[in-house]
Amino acid sequence: MERQEAIDLLAEGRSGAIAVATMQSIYPWHQAEQAEYLHIDASQCMGSAASIGLGLAMARPDKRVMVLDGDGSLLMQLGSLVTVASQQPRKFFHFVFANGLHQSTGNQDLPGIGRFDWVALAIGSGYANALKIETADELLVKLPSIWNMEGPVLIELSIEREAQDPRWAGVPMASQSAILKEQLAAL
Amino acid sequence: MHRGGLSMPSDQPVATGVSSEEIVSKLKNLGVDHVICIPDSYQKTLIARLTDDPDISFMIACTEDEAIGINAGLYIGGKNPVLVIQNNGIFASINTIKAIPLDAKIPTLMFVGQFQRDPMLPIEESKSRAVRMVEPTLETWGVPYYRIETPEDIGNIELGYKLAHDTLGPVAIIIGAPTI
Repeated sequence: MERQEAIDLLAEGRSGAIAVATMQSIYPWHQAEQAEYLHIDASQCMGSAASIGLGLAMARPDKRVMVLDGDGSLLMQLGSLVTVASQQPRKFFHFVFANGLHQSTGNQDLPGIGRFDWVALAIGSGYANALKIETADELLVKLPSIWNMEGPVLIELSIEREAQDPRWAGVPMASQSAILKEQLAAL
Repeated sequence: MHRGGLSMPSDQPVATGVSSEEIVSKLKNLGVDHVICIPDSYQKTLIARLTDDPDISFMIACTEDEAIGINAGLYIGGKNPVLVIQNNGIFASINTIKAIPLDAKIPTLMFVGQFQRDPMLPIEESKSRAVRMVEPTLETWGVPYYRIETPEDIGNIELGYKLAHDTLGPVAIIIGAPTI
C-alpha cells in the first residue's frame, strides 16, 4: 500500500489513541491533522519512537498508544522490541511502516531485506501479538479488530517505495512535549 | 567541580561510597516514582535496593537511548522518573541526549556510575579514558553535572533534580565510588 493510504486509514481509525510518529510518517500525519491533539513526533532521534511510546503507555495505561515507526528507524534501536515486551503494555500498538528503505536519506536499501521478519522478531521479543498487513483494503478491514487485541501488538505495514524527496513537518519536539503533557494532565 | 595538576599520592581514597538507602530516601523525598536502568557495577547495591521497592517502579532497558525515550514518555505522561546508567552509556547515547533532553526540553536526571574508576585517584588522573572523558563530554554538550565523591555530597542529588526540572533539560549525577 502507499504510505498516504495507510496514514489516512490510521487517522480515520485512530480511536482516541496517543500517537508518536517518526521520520517520513511525520509530515503526512501532520497533514492529516492528527498532530494537534495527543501527539508527539520523535524527531532527530531515529529509533526512539517506540521508547517514547512505551513511557507514555506506562504513565497512562488507561489510554491506547499508537507508534508510527519506520523499519529503518526500528532497526536502529531493535532492542526496544524486547524492552517494550518486558513491560507488556496492554494498549500499545506498534505500526511499522516497512518499505525496506532509508527513505529520508535517498531510498538506500536497509540491510538484510528479505532475510528478516518483523512479525517473527516481535513475537520472538515477547510481543503479545504481531501481524503483517500488505494492502490498504486489508488494513481497513482489520484495523477495528487490531484495537481489540491484547498488547503489545506490532503491525507490519507493507509500504511501496516512494520517489519523492523526504518531507518534514519542522515542528519542534519541545513545544509538542509541553502541549502533550498539558493535554494528558487534563484527561 | 575541580581541575588542576597531579595530586600527591595518598593512602586515603579520593572517593568513598554513598549509602543506597540514603539515595533511595532522597529519591522518595523528591517524589521520584520510576527508575529506568542500564546496569552499572558502581551502583549495583542501589540497583539491588531499588529492584523490589514498593514505592518506586524499577525497570531495566536494553540501551541508554531507550532509557532516555522512556523517561520522556513517562515525564510527559505525568510521572517523575530518573535514570541509572554508567559512564560509557553517556558516550553511547549522545545523539539521543541531544534530541530529547536538550532539544525537546525533557527533564532527565541521570545517575552515572564511574565504571572502572580507581577511587584512590582523582577522576582526572584515572587510567580509564571513560572515567576521564565523561565530564568533558558532558561539558561539550552543555549538560550540567554534579559529583558525588563522598557521603557529604548527597545533597547534590536534590540540586541536580531541581536544576533538571527548572531548566527542562539533562543533568548528570556522577557517582564516583561504588554505592554501599
